[in-house]
Amino acid sequence: MTTDASSSPDHSPAEPLVSRGFWQETWLRFRRRRLAMSALYFVCFLGLVALFSPCIAGTKPVVCQYKGNLYFPALGYWNRAWENPIFRKDRFRNRYPKNLAAKDPDSWAVWPLVYQDPYRRVRDDEWDGQPGNPTGADGRPNRHNWFGTDQSGVDVFAQMVHGTRIALLVGFVSMGIAAAIGVVVGALAGFLGGWVDVLLSRLIELVMCIPSLVLILSLIAIIEEVTIWHLMAVIGVTSWTGIARLTRAEFLKLKRMEFVTAAQALGASKFRIMFRHILRNALAPILVPITFGIAAAILVESGLSFLGFGAPPPNPSWGTLLNSGRVMIQQTWWLILFPGLAIFLTVLAYNLIGEGLQEATDPRLRKAEK
Amino acid sequence: MVSFLLRRIAIGLLTLLLITFVIFGLIRNMPGTPLTVDSAESDPSKSISPEDLKRLEKTYGLDKPWPQAYLVWVGNLCQLDLGRSFTHKQPVGNLIRERVGPTLLLTVTSLILAYLLSIPLGLWATVRGGTTGERSVSTALYMFYSLPSFVAALFLQILIAVRLGWLPLFGMKSDNYAQLSALGQTWDIFLHALMPIFCFTYGGLAYYTRFIKSNMEEVIRQDYIRTARAKGVAPYRIVVHHAFRNTLIPLVTMIGLTLPSLLSGAVILEQVFSWPGMGTLFFESIGRRDYPTIMGLTLIFSSLTLLGQLLADVLYAVVDPRVTYS
Repeated sequence: MTTDASSSPDHSPAEPLVSRGFWQETWLRFRRRRLAMSALYFVCFLGLVALFSPCIAGTKPVVCQYKGNLYFPALGYWNRAWENPIFRKDRFRNRYPKNLAAKDPDSWAVWPLVYQDPYRRVRDDEWDGQPGNPTGADGRPNRHNWFGTDQSGVDVFAQMVHGTRIALLVGFVSMGIAAAIGVVVGALAGFLGGWVDVLLSRLIELVMCIPSLVLILSLIAIIEEVTIWHLMAVIGVTSWTGIARLTRAEFLKLKRMEFVTAAQALGASKFRIMFRHILRNALAPILVPITFGIAAAILVESGLSFLGFGAPPPNPSWGTLLNSGRVMIQQTWWLILFPGLAIFLTVLAYNLIGEGLQEATDPRLRKAEK
Repeated sequence: MVSFLLRRIAIGLLTLLLITFVIFGLIRNMPGTPLTVDSAESDPSKSISPEDLKRLEKTYGLDKPWPQAYLVWVGNLCQLDLGRSFTHKQPVGNLIRERVGPTLLLTVTSLILAYLLSIPLGLWATVRGGTTGERSVSTALYMFYSLPSFVAALFLQILIAVRLGWLPLFGMKSDNYAQLSALGQTWDIFLHALMPIFCFTYGGLAYYTRFIKSNMEEVIRQDYIRTARAKGVAPYRIVVHHAFRNTLIPLVTMIGLTLPSLLSGAVILEQVFSWPGMGTLFFESIGRRDYPTIMGLTLIFSSLTLLGQLLADVLYAVVDPRVTYS
């Protein structure tokens, strides 16, 4: 891009009287768009919810003192192994409140905001004054289950809070994979040209021609035990074509610029020119389809989970909730309304951010502004 | 033009071969075969004895390695034989012919509707750009664009079918369909198709409208528009005759590019509405490992996608006299 002189690697940050860098300029322009900014805030909010999901809804204490030591059992929601084995040895069986009091009267604990579990039904005598979760059509939203419960009595609010983790992870991981493939393929095709370009362009066209859901479903059906990581890999592997095409076009355009000739004259290797010199300048336009791709990936994951092709339950994905709501659509509207809204808002937020980025980085629109 | 067409068709056929080869390899490597999946699901005690399994595999051609089986499949395809479905016990060709109608009813209707509605809407949004009405319509369309169709389908089902009871919840025909008169039958299908068609249409409608508006805004700044205005051409004529004709070119190429996503949408939406189309069939076949049906449907889906792209290229030359392929 044109304003990149200030962000070249040998520029010292302390130098005065320097014009704003490209990213700074983009950020300034992005910040002026109120909708895009509120979308960004929303995604940050989702990130916080995902990060602190075990503190918001769970049945394991965030911090507790037990037999003289401090423990963080809530970490078990992140990774089974992070829950201290002492609780398994002492036969807690995931019923912390009563067991803590019974086995160590001096113990204390800080509990999550909502005592509900995303993986199992909360029973009658677990928490003082909180009845067991209702099941099926009785599980409509109430004081203890804000968003109701599903057929087997698992709290929907807890599932949605923990599902945020999956939704965000799916977006970033699968688009990370897609971006890595797309950028490498596009860079090689655009920079090297010749038969490499012909071959890779054919490959891109071929993958684009395969109806994506046919390919995704066939790939998933091969996997014996589908986990959320498999889904991310499959989505990533099938959605890189748009990024590759754009990268190729950018490289075709940029490789004729003077700074590339200069780098060549300095004796930089092809690899260095491609990924250090050209890619930095092509990054802004590539970022736009990546942002839209995150929205699409979240959509595909929830669609697949909704169709029953996702990770098997208990897996608190928003799509899985929709699927369980569809079975009894006549009665359980809350199983569809809340997760559906969550998917919608997340997709909308990413689309708005993508749009904002597009308008902030597009030089044509910048000219119109002046 | 003819040589261009021939070359494109040849490339298309080659692409089709590659696609089917990839998908064939994938589905033959799925765990389970149509014979084992079926029997294990119905009753574990009814599992087929190893000798019977061998015999059955031989009759269905499952004993060969998959590249060889692929060649057999292509050979049969050249004789217009798609094989027999394992689960439906009838030729795949007949099966697809049965299911293609309902799918086309949804996709083609919604494609036409989306184009018919988006053009006036997009032009209106350009002319009235910046007014409150235009802003609210554009915002609503943007929200629609981000609303996943299966979520919309479920919301509609709850609101219109379950709460209000205005439209049937799913399916294509009522139980008493056979007793209805011809007019009643059409009305019945129409009622069943309303919600699916709406869900198929709104996403495309929102996308095209935004597309037309952004293109029109670029065109309307051009010098020839100013010239037309200066010489006193009526505003209506400027928008339709001078500006819109120049946004038609990218719009036409969109048809070809939206076809694959429309078909992908069919797989999910038909499932939501239990619509007896190709998407539902594909979905069932994957679960039952019905290889010939999966392959037949893959062939149809990919051919339609390629045809759409070809159509876009041809139409490109039709609407833009500057483009020639000779």
